[in-house]
Amino acid sequence: MTHSDSSLTATARDTDRAAQPSVGRAAHLPGDIHMWVMVLGDLIIFSSYFVIFMIYRSMSPEAYLRAQQHLDINIGVVNTVVLLTSSWFVARSVLSARAGDHTRAIRFVYAAGACGVLFMALKGYEWAAKIGAGYTNSEEFFSFYYVITGVHFLHVVIGLIVLGVVIRDLRNPARRRTSMVEAGAVYWHMVDLLWVVIFTLLYVMR
Amino acid sequence: MSILSPDRYITRADKSPAGRPDVRLVTWFFPVWYAAFGVIICLLARVTPPPRPDVSAADKVAFMTTHALTIQVGFVVLLILLGGAGMTNALVAYQMSRMSTGPVLAYAYIGGMGVGALPGFLLVSVCFLTATFRPDRDPELIGLLYDLGMLSYNGSLGCFSAAYLVLAIAVLYDKNEIFPKWFAYLSIWQIVTEVIATQMFVFPAGPFAWNGSISFWVAVVVFSVWLGSLIFILRNTAAREPVDTDETFQGPTAG
Amino acid sequence: MQILEQVQDLPKAGNIKAQWVCLWSGPAVGLVLLVALLAFPGFWPPISPTLPAEEVARFYAENTAWIRFSQVTFNLCGIMVVPFFMVIVAQMKRMHGQSHVFAYCYLTALVSGATFFALSNIFFLVAAFRPERDPELTMLLNDLAWIVFIAPIGMVLCQFLLLAVAVKFDHATDRNGAAAIFPRWVGHYSLVTGLAMIPSACAAVFQTGPLAWDGLLSFWLRNGAFAAFMIVMFFVLRTAVLRQAVDDGVIADPEARLGASATR
Repeated sequence: MTHSDSSLTATARDTDRAAQPSVGRAAHLPGDIHMWVMVLGDLIIFSSYFVIFMIYRSMSPEAYLRAQQHLDINIGVVNTVVLLTSSWFVARSVLSARAGDHTRAIRFVYAAGACGVLFMALKGYEWAAKIGAGYTNSEEFFSFYYVITGVHFLHVVIGLIVLGVVIRDLRNPARRRTSMVEAGAVYWHMVDLLWVVIFTLLYVMR
Repeated sequence: MSILSPDRYITRADKSPAGRPDVRLVTWFFPVWYAAFGVIICLLARVTPPPRPDVSAADKVAFMTTHALTIQVGFVVLLILLGGAGMTNALVAYQMSRMSTGPVLAYAYIGGMGVGALPGFLLVSVCFLTATFRPDRDPELIGLLYDLGMLSYNGSLGCFSAAYLVLAIAVLYDKNEIFPKWFAYLSIWQIVTEVIATQMFVFPAGPFAWNGSISFWVAVVVFSVWLGSLIFILRNTAAREPVDTDETFQGPTAG
Repeated sequence: MQILEQVQDLPKAGNIKAQWVCLWSGPAVGLVLLVALLAFPGFWPPISPTLPAEEVARFYAENTAWIRFSQVTFNLCGIMVVPFFMVIVAQMKRMHGQSHVFAYCYLTALVSGATFFALSNIFFLVAAFRPERDPELTMLLNDLAWIVFIAPIGMVLCQFLLLAVAVKFDHATDRNGAAAIFPRWVGHYSLVTGLAMIPSACAAVFQTGPLAWDGLLSFWLRNGAFAAFMIVMFFVLRTAVLRQAVDDGVIADPEARLGASATR
């Protein structure tokens, strides 16, 4: 009994939310609390990896610096720009969804997804080039590099799935919810933020 | 009426027990079993935190002889208690079967966890017990048992990843709100740490070794958070379960 | 597969969604496992049981990276085929005139069989972990890995036999005009695949010939038949799940849909 009641109120709540665009709604948490738990927890876990990386780097700075020379900073910059652009698209899509313009919102999400795919292609090419040149996880720096960028890559894949769910929901009038788009945006921004930190730590910091 | 009795474990505000009595019993058993398991693997058998991979055969023999008594006591007790592992997995599978996705994913969870039991902790038990059985064995052989035990214990990753994956999918698809959605994300972190931990097969030392800060310590922290959350979630969902209706395999709104 | 709007939140739709995800996990995981299969140097050609210990140790020392990569992939993704097989269990439970006993037997057989595969990965990886180990010990681990990988076929044999028997029962019973879950040939195909597994048990005994773990019967026939079964069952299960979805009213019947736009 309670379950069907709660599902009814949930549907009523959702149609309510879909009916009024949330422009001008002060002090509401964008997305839902579950996604924030995911994002914050993910950031904490990644931070622990970054801290461990920094600790090991401080133990053998010359070896790390030497290995780092072999990373191509140009492709890193391009990837950073690609992801930042995708975040901009995602932000635009949230604004469009809030204003009720769902067609534009869908288009922006597609654009962000395309950027994500481009990022993955560039990353794959970079890995292939590095492995081909012989920089495998036999060196400590490169083992960190592959693990950290590999886990980030996994997050991009999950992000594309999340964006796909957002598009599917936006297409369907009965399932449109601004909170869904916002939750997807929060996740994608996290992916972007993580990449910026990774880029700084692995590529730039000397 | 101590706090250790199952009837006290899930109670409503008016002190009446909530949920179905059989589920209540197994839900109480879950943390009790894991506490015993924790004592065994951490304090007695000393496999968590794991001994180092980058030691000589003589050091491995020394490890086995120094801790022979506690290893034997711990793992023999585990051999008696190990049936409880299946019960804890089955409880999660039971709650998964109450989700709107039905029993398919619950069976897959049982499958994944069932496969993981042997290489995951039974193999290290018998390897270490065999190593301490004849301490005068050739050190290379004891070293082999040591490696085999530790790599299987820390390195059985795919079975559990498969189970966590179907758990995450079930929680995300579920409309009955049996488990909170954030638990699905926790399970996905578990998978990520397992994927990273595969590096332990490559490195005998450093952060990615089976005792390394990334392959082990971060993973153990995430696992502890996951397990702790699961214990509370199981308790809450058992308390919310309606006693009279049979929701299993149908869900509350059939048809 | 487009789920009807009005049943989106019902358990029967959830059941179909769960089965659909598990079904498609099959090809996804299969692709990854195929990559690992092609990458494992010990399969091309399969390591001979007659190789002396020094040769085995040298093989592991020379191919360490690829052995580790492929076996880690098998370790990580091998058991992810379990959800795919659970769709078979779910469909077996729907068979008419049967209690669910065959389905549960199938489940337990699958779990036991998969455990052997998981165990063999660990042995391969431990063998590759310390290339400087005594060659006799490396050969011991290699023997264990291969024997555990190839020889214990009792569980998978049970799987195939159970499916064959269940399909036979399904066709033999009166279903009031409803279609059987799987066509009759699936039962026969399952039986034949099971029989193809049996010779592999001898891989634990023979070092040469077709019955050895690198032989035509024990390696190529056994693994080829198993892989082919998974591919064939993907299509069979897809049809079965779609038919279940239509029967349960979860998706629109493609034959009955004549310009109905209400679902969109």
